[in-house]
Amino acid sequence: MENPTMTLGQWVKRLTFYEILIGMKATITVFIQRIILRNRPAVTLQYPHEKRDLPGSYRGMIALLRYDDETEKCVGCDLCEAACPSRVITVISAEKEGEPMKRYAKEYYMDMSRCIFCGLCIQACPVDALAMTKEYEWAVYNKRDLRLNKPQLLALGDRNFPERERKIEFQHHNVAFFNIGHHDLPPMTSKDQPPVTP
Amino acid sequence: MMELMTFAGIALIKIVVVLIVVLTTVAFLTLAERKVLSWMQDRMGPMEVGPYGILQPLADGLKLFFKEDIIPAGANWALFSLAPILSLVPALIGFAVIPYGPNKEVELFGYTFKPFVITDINIGILYILAFASIGAYGVILGGWASNNKYSLLGGLRAAAQVISYELNIGLAIIGVLILSGSLSMVKIAEAQAGGFWHWYIFGGLQVIGFVVYLISAVAETNRLPFDLAEAESELVAGWMTEYSGMRFAFFFMAEYTNMVLVSCVAAVLFFGGWQAPYPGTLLPENLAWIEGIFWFTVKVFFFLFMFFWLRATLPRLRYDQLMRFGWKVMLPLALANVVLTAIVVYLVRQ
Repeated sequence: MENPTMTLGQWVKRLTFYEILIGMKATITVFIQRIILRNRPAVTLQYPHEKRDLPGSYRGMIALLRYDDETEKCVGCDLCEAACPSRVITVISAEKEGEPMKRYAKEYYMDMSRCIFCGLCIQACPVDALAMTKEYEWAVYNKRDLRLNKPQLLALGDRNFPERERKIEFQHHNVAFFNIGHHDLPPMTSKDQPPVTP
Repeated sequence: MMELMTFAGIALIKIVVVLIVVLTTVAFLTLAERKVLSWMQDRMGPMEVGPYGILQPLADGLKLFFKEDIIPAGANWALFSLAPILSLVPALIGFAVIPYGPNKEVELFGYTFKPFVITDINIGILYILAFASIGAYGVILGGWASNNKYSLLGGLRAAAQVISYELNIGLAIIGVLILSGSLSMVKIAEAQAGGFWHWYIFGGLQVIGFVVYLISAVAETNRLPFDLAEAESELVAGWMTEYSGMRFAFFFMAEYTNMVLVSCVAAVLFFGGWQAPYPGTLLPENLAWIEGIFWFTVKVFFFLFMFFWLRATLPRLRYDQLMRFGWKVMLPLALANVVLTAIVVYLVRQ
């Protein structure tokens, strides 16, 4: 009514609540499609009963991996600890018994209550010993339950990645353990193993 | 003495039946509202308690019943406790004069009574309006007694809003009263017999009156888009901020009971109450009451659906918009309706 130059059409629209009727039509259309025609599914999921498909790149809980002969991939290099922006990871590395050039993570802790799931530790790992799983239902009553040790992290890896990578057996002991990305390996010599292509 | 006992006994039975029916409707109305809203918004609504969430009202009721009874430290406990009762009781009292079915006498075990009309007092509609105004006291007192600024603001808003729109309700129904010449709900409904073209909204040309009544009724019950008093995005929960448990449940039930009540009044005044939209009845004479109750229920639930539909569609008004709409649009429209109806009735009856 502020506008003094309203046309007749505008007056009719205002008196018949035209704009409101347009809105009411929109809601009743959805209602009819949903209940009577039944051609409009709900967009929500009944979460504990239904779960959505996660994308392949989903960043869930972090796990430690093993080779196919059950040995741990981790060489205890501490690079993940260095890469972690929120200081989640604690690695205590040690020499393997009798093999002075080979190291491993004697203890490995991840405080997942601090983790921001950025994935920098996975990128930093030279031996691909870390991976992100699709697990996300990790609510706990005690936040200390989120401080995971090495067996727990390995168990996470075991249950989420049943197909394990083959262990690289042909490496010379003296080759530094940083070179081990499987993409730049020397050609295979063993007969029973297929050649690794880049 | 025996006669009085019989009268009181029959009245008590009727009261209990009506209370059970109304409170069950109110309970499942909360579920119906959540379901309808979710269907209009591509959601599912409550799905966990019982199949498709059908038992949700029972779960809600149990939860509210067993909650701790909290009275804020600075609250006036007497008024704080009184307010929910003062809100719910007037809403329930109104149902005493609603005709649910044909105004027929039935003889059962030697007693004669009217099963579908609790009382037929000759100022029925005035009685409902009067008690609806008392219901506003519950909101105002609850807002004041909570000793909370949000509650007080909600209560004040409710006071202003209810007073503004009560006036419009009173004026909007005057057209109907002119046409029927009675304030009794039963007489008004009986005057609209014989097909939908005799209903006052069509036959009596009360479209303006009906629209004004409907909008004012939504405002009167503090429902969206007029829920200024509750306004959760501005006032937390308005006058209900400090309430929890059964006291909150009383306010909640009062809101839904008021919705049912204004829907019943709209059905009786403008849509012929229990009258079917065609002349006479389809069922034989002694079963006609089933048809009457059926049509009354259909009409009431159509209006209740309208409440949900409006809520799903419209956003809340601003406070100045609400007041301007009430006084500058609804009131002149209602007055014009009174004048027009009076002139038309005068000319037709000449």
